[in-house]
Amino acid sequence: MTDAAEARTESSALIAEEVLGFQRNMTRRGIIFSFTGYISEGILKALGDALRQKIRLESTDTKTVNRVFSVFVEQVQNVIRYSAERIEHDAEPPVELSSGMITVGSENGRFFVICGNVIGRKDADTLAVRLRELAGMDSDELRRFYKEKLREPPDEGSKGGSIGLIEIARRASEPIQFDFQHLSDAQSYFVLKAYI
Amino acid sequence: MAVVETIEHKATDRTPAVVFDFAAGQYRLSGESYPEDAANFYGPLTQGLRQAIEDRASDEVEFTVEMIYFNSSTAKALMNMFQILEEGAESGLKVRINWCYHDDDETMEEFGEDFSEDFEHADYRMCPLT
Repeated sequence: MTDAAEARTESSALIAEEVLGFQRNMTRRGIIFSFTGYISEGILKALGDALRQKIRLESTDTKTVNRVFSVFVEQVQNVIRYSAERIEHDAEPPVELSSGMITVGSENGRFFVICGNVIGRKDADTLAVRLRELAGMDSDELRRFYKEKLREPPDEGSKGGSIGLIEIARRASEPIQFDFQHLSDAQSYFVLKAYI
Repeated sequence: MAVVETIEHKATDRTPAVVFDFAAGQYRLSGESYPEDAANFYGPLTQGLRQAIEDRASDEVEFTVEMIYFNSSTAKALMNMFQILEEGAESGLKVRINWCYHDDDETMEEFGEDFSEDFEHADYRMCPLT
């Protein structure tokens, strides 16, 4: 064997070990799938289809399948619409790619959906207020609040996202968890985790 | 007074089947709805409905919704159309809304009940399907 071939074999083995370790670590955490990078509506559709098929196999309860799917759609559409790391291009069809992370998994018989993306610091403050407000509401209050928001004209620049958050809170089985990580004076990293 | 031409769309994986027959006053949305761009999908439908109601394109209106799943931006679009229908009914037009849902689908049943609260003049019916 030449030196070059030997080196290749050795590095391939290392890659396999590393990748397998990574995959096993994800599996141990109950992760069904995780996607990091630029997210488009096409990726939402493809991942959503895979998610529905997977949880239909795990859960015979249609209600759960629908709830997980609904939380997934609202969370991913929030990343697509609000991620501060985005590429927009007026091509035909228009290109809209937003960077972020989506993870779906199950833990002790419950599903969870986590999304993470970069947002502006000011948006982080507004979001924190909204999410704290939702966390304090019971299911009847959330139902009424959703209806109230539907009647109102949308908030400036919200693209309907505030109703999306209420939808997530309504389908979740406990108050949605959220956190922010300071990145710079202008930006924060935002994480939302919902158990269904 | 131009009558808006019927809008018909076949259902796709993420948009509902649409029949908006303005001249006959027959409207129907059925399937799933989480469009890439809800404003783009529902905008022309909402505009057509508004125009048809204003123009009295038909003597009576029957609006049937039979959804399996819809996202929050679709809910907003439905609300906009329902407001137009209720205003039409308030101004004397005979309007009937059928909210159809599978009888074990609590989510769609709840949505149907919540939307019903905004109707006073239109005839709003919950239609459970088996």
